[in-house]
Amino acid sequence: MPSFFNTWLPFIYLYVVGGLFFITGLIIAVKSGSLNKQIPRHRKWFWLLIFGYCFFFILHALLITAALYW
Amino acid sequence: MEKFHNIGTTTDWIVMLVYFLLVMLFGSYFGRYNRSTQDFFFGGRRFSWWLIAFSIVATGVGSHSFIKYSAMGFQHGLSSSMTYLNDWFFVPFFLFGWLPIIVYTKIRSIPEYFEKRFSPSARFLATILLVLYMVGYIGIGFLTLGKAAQPLLPEHFTLFGQTFDITLMGIIIVIAIITGFYITFGGQTAVIFTDLLQGFILLFAGILLFVLGLDYLGGFKVFWDLLPVELKLPLAQFNEPPSFNFVGIFWQDGIAGSVGFLFMNMGLIMRFMATKSVDEGRKAATFNILAMLPISAIVVSNAGWIGKAVSIAQPEVVPPSIVPDQVFVVIANLVSHPGVFGFIMAALTAALMSTVDTLINATAAIYINDIHRPIKKYIGKKVTITEKENDRKELFAARIASIAITTLGVLSVLIFEKFPTVYEAHGFFHSTLTPPLVVAIFLGIFWKKFTPAAVMATFIGGVALMILGNYYPAALISPFDHGTEMDLKHPYTYIRALYNLFVCSFVGVIVTVTTVYQKRIVEILRSKRNHLQIFYLLNSVSVAIFISIVFNLFPLTILLPLAVVLIIFASISISYVVKYDPTNNTEGLTAWSIAKAKELFKGRPINDREGKKIKVNWKLKDGDDNTINFSENDMRTMAAESGDLVYISDARGYLGGLKSVHAEYGAPHNENGIVYINKEQKLTGLFVEGRPLSAEKEM
Repeated sequence: MPSFFNTWLPFIYLYVVGGLFFITGLIIAVKSGSLNKQIPRHRKWFWLLIFGYCFFFILHALLITAALYW
Repeated sequence: MEKFHNIGTTTDWIVMLVYFLLVMLFGSYFGRYNRSTQDFFFGGRRFSWWLIAFSIVATGVGSHSFIKYSAMGFQHGLSSSMTYLNDWFFVPFFLFGWLPIIVYTKIRSIPEYFEKRFSPSARFLATILLVLYMVGYIGIGFLTLGKAAQPLLPEHFTLFGQTFDITLMGIIIVIAIITGFYITFGGQTAVIFTDLLQGFILLFAGILLFVLGLDYLGGFKVFWDLLPVELKLPLAQFNEPPSFNFVGIFWQDGIAGSVGFLFMNMGLIMRFMATKSVDEGRKAATFNILAMLPISAIVVSNAGWIGKAVSIAQPEVVPPSIVPDQVFVVIANLVSHPGVFGFIMAALTAALMSTVDTLINATAAIYINDIHRPIKKYIGKKVTITEKENDRKELFAARIASIAITTLGVLSVLIFEKFPTVYEAHGFFHSTLTPPLVVAIFLGIFWKKFTPAAVMATFIGGVALMILGNYYPAALISPFDHGTEMDLKHPYTYIRALYNLFVCSFVGVIVTVTTVYQKRIVEILRSKRNHLQIFYLLNSVSVAIFISIVFNLFPLTILLPLAVVLIIFASISISYVVKYDPTNNTEGLTAWSIAKAKELFKGRPINDREGKKIKVNWKLKDGDDNTINFSENDMRTMAAESGDLVYISDARGYLGGLKSVHAEYGAPHNENGIVYINKEQKLTGLFVEGRPLSAEKEM
């Protein structure tokens, strides 16, 4: 069985360091008014962006679990 | 390592030939829709999101992916997919930063953005870096094409009693001639439609290969059980081996590569610019990253995974010592029948050619916008020619540029072929060439305070520090290596991206926050009588230092302080010479003023009221009035007013906007369901008599 260092650590690194970039992007988009949450169409975009992050997070978590235990 | 030759049958070759002919005919058919350089390069900003989303598949998947990801899949298992699943982090920056800026500011190329945002000198350096980046990308494409074709061909052939070796470079030159021929006569519309067709075929061919591979092994359960746990993991081992590790690839591909792909890849950007609106561009990008890339990850890597399983079960069929870059071709041949193998190979090579075509087309656009036109403007044209004549001349220049770029791309293969796999060559290329531009674009878009001096220092000083990192990796890159071992032959292929990004960002930030001191020094400088001589001296010393760094003329202990002096001198020189207005030079050009960019694009206040799309019949009107006229009722339904922007297209949705045009609403009339357009709009929109149009307010 591969160690934590080679299984979950890359996953944590990916979504923490990558997540910092993602959150920064989201904050800049909202604060600059480029993504205006008052506009219904933009509200959908905001939630779609969050969904995308969660989608890849869950996908990778499931794939690691499948590799280790299935 | 074991090399294969002469793979495939006569049937396969016939299938490949027929496929290529059909694709070229298909492209030529759509090439006739190019009416100007605008159409040749950008496809006329008219297409629907779904058409662009699928046309990107061929560009993304075709980009040397089958060969390099199959090689990595064979060596490292499912973790070969990770580079396809780490692009989401920069999507907010792209969708709500860069994409609206490039569309609303009507810039034709990335260097043009640098001129508007900073200065002509920034544009000049950005052009050099961008052309290097694009030519390198084209070189990687050619290398992959050559490696894909090599196993299909014999080792040598005999002609007139003489035996000739078939070399990788020989194959690449032949491929380059075919590729150059197609792009020279096609243009962006042809590329978009050829890619659309190939996107579908490529996905089908990749999935077909996976199904055939699983069938060959005896089902998914057998395949899964054959792979050891380490090869089933979706992310590579944290920091080993040096040739493929998670942390290096995260910084090289997930950060530098993702930003490079979304922000710098002119081929991709031109696709998004070909969508009918910013929102359609957002949809195309989102759909591509969220849906198409995960599918593509399986499509491009599965031959490697199947190959590994076969090599474990039947090492006599696929030897574990096989050349990794040949795995795709060997497995495709092993699991499919004659003819089917030909189809898979044709789909792969044609898509690769599409990718290279897209890049050549994009680089030709950079040539026209950032070299040809500025030089022409600088020289000053005495003979006045009509706009049409000028357009024709530029189209000709673009075609000549395409040929020159193709040649440079072939020459760049000489650098990349020294790496053991295409993947490592591409990794090195990304780590080395993208950071200065990535940092400059990124800080330019998202940081209003980022100055021309800072961007130039990033280009000059950042590159100088990167070169030093290349000469002294043990001293400079190792503090960033996260425990990755240094391979002496190819030191820090991936993690050098982190060092390069760091030094470029550091230089950019430091020079920006010290702007006030630079201004003071410039004021003192200007107060001197011999200020011009001092300026020339600063520049001469800077050039001398840069040369000493490029040729590594002194030890690191001297070169490093010299690099600091170079950064200081460069920033003072630029502050001295560039006239920069922090308000005018950022208006509409940073993420903080996109509303202003939209207003400038339209030329009047924005109408954001949500209206409906309508279907109308069209009639021709006399005169040159460029507005189009709807009835008052129809305008109310669309929530539009005179002076707003409208998009009209052939009502047949499956055309994806091929027959469409943008215009401005004119004064309304009283005939409901009728729109009046002029002759030029009819021609540009390619509208057909008797066919209804759909219309929607753009803004």
